[in-house]
Amino acid sequence: MDTDSHSNNLVKNTTHKVVLPFYIYSSASFFISTVFLFFSVSAFTQHFFHPQILAITHMMALGWGTMVILGASHQLVPVLIEGKLYSITLAYLSFVFAAAGIPLLVYGFYVFDMGWPAQLGGLTILISILLFVINVGVSVTESKVHNVHAFFVFTAALWLLITVIIGVLLVFNFTHSFLSKNSTEYLPLHAHLGIAGWFLLLVIGVGSRLIPMFLISKYSNEKLLWIIYCLINAALLTFIGLFLYWPHTAFLFIPVLAILLALFLFAYYCYRSFKERIRKQVDAPMKTSLLSVVMMIVPFLLLFIIVAWLMLDTLNIHVVIAYGFVIFFGWLTSIILGMTFKTLPFIVWNKIYRHISGAGKTPSPKDLFANRIFGAMIPVYLLGFVLFVAGICAVNIFLMNFAAVLLMITAFLYNWNVLKVLLHKPVKP
Amino acid sequence: MSMITNDPVQCERAHNVLKDVYDPEIGLNVVDLGLIYQIDFDEAIHSIYVRMTLTTQFCPMGESITDAVKRMLELSFDNTQVKIELVFDPPWNHEMISEEGKEFLNGE
Repeated sequence: MDTDSHSNNLVKNTTHKVVLPFYIYSSASFFISTVFLFFSVSAFTQHFFHPQILAITHMMALGWGTMVILGASHQLVPVLIEGKLYSITLAYLSFVFAAAGIPLLVYGFYVFDMGWPAQLGGLTILISILLFVINVGVSVTESKVHNVHAFFVFTAALWLLITVIIGVLLVFNFTHSFLSKNSTEYLPLHAHLGIAGWFLLLVIGVGSRLIPMFLISKYSNEKLLWIIYCLINAALLTFIGLFLYWPHTAFLFIPVLAILLALFLFAYYCYRSFKERIRKQVDAPMKTSLLSVVMMIVPFLLLFIIVAWLMLDTLNIHVVIAYGFVIFFGWLTSIILGMTFKTLPFIVWNKIYRHISGAGKTPSPKDLFANRIFGAMIPVYLLGFVLFVAGICAVNIFLMNFAAVLLMITAFLYNWNVLKVLLHKPVKP
Repeated sequence: MSMITNDPVQCERAHNVLKDVYDPEIGLNVVDLGLIYQIDFDEAIHSIYVRMTLTTQFCPMGESITDAVKRMLELSFDNTQVKIELVFDPPWNHEMISEEGKEFLNGE
């Protein structure tokens, strides 16, 4: 075998040109979301179905969470399936459609005009997700390797597509009213398919591969991951069945308990990976990613409480708002803050140093971002997050305003560090 | 006609050269990480044959590491063609890390 053919055994990296725009868009969305948050604090003292809360939620879920995950997925799918991404063109188109659609949809929510901007925005996002599903689906089916991680990612993509289809139907239902109930009645279905079907499955599927890989852990347990996969999907299917055909609150405990069990099993998987790691020193981005595993259990515990309150007909609206906030500004944000600096520096490093590494001393990927900025960002973020949740629960606008400023500083520091990585100048070996 | 000659001096020199090739994520060189399975010299046709692996077949840095191994050997051994065979059997495991490597990972 010669030097050219050895590359046949290697993972084919997706070009940085298609991955980086997703990261840039996502970083900007995070900052914009925190600015929105600062100017919309009073909305968090009212009902969760508030135009500004809907706008911020969709900016966080789509602009921040989904965009960075789509970008990282285009990079990680080849790693998970040990093959290559089916189409770079589809990846570009997926970015263009999502990038165009998200501001239109968010604007529609912010001014609460469910007319053409929101409808066009919803449809372009749907096209983007459809292209992503095709791209991932063909990549997975063309690959010879079908491991549990690939199943997680592909199934998550399918749940995202279903979530977006329901979302678009709800947007059109505001003006055409073709569904049997009011659009607001379907919100729990739309939200939870997105949260558990898309975000949770995707994060577990990718995290279960990356966490042991970055820790150089001896632990692996594919059987446990299959159990987690089945629990989450069974919970989602049960929830759909209950929501559509048997809406008894008491039975909602079944899917919630299944998800909680899946989360504890995943936390156990991460704990074992951590305990059996060879690399004893854990860097700050990895610590943040591990913290997010703990933070993902918090919203689902809150959900457990919410279902209990629903049974007693004494639902506290502030706890529901806190539940949503903990998901998007807590769990998802913490994992993105950590994982960005475990993935983005590698993508940029590969772009700059791949062809000159070995010809002398080059910086390592972790040298591409400023550890000091990262170190300052995490305490500011945690304080801002905790104070905002406290502000929601205590209905305290002053506390929320102060916390929103801290979250804005977090987003500024994050963007600064992302730019530092993106604008890294090559150091000649 | 090819003739494999494993001159211990040459092999040691090659291993020392490869101690300057690092896994970018782990920060440990490929020799102490246990990625180099075999190095053979064929002086008749001026070639070096390297049989090596990666910590995981999923490694996104794989191409960068194998390219660096090839580049470093070509720079250090004049007029020599470097052939790399990337294998995953036996798969890499933590037992392959040298004592120096383990010390490094314990106290990075």
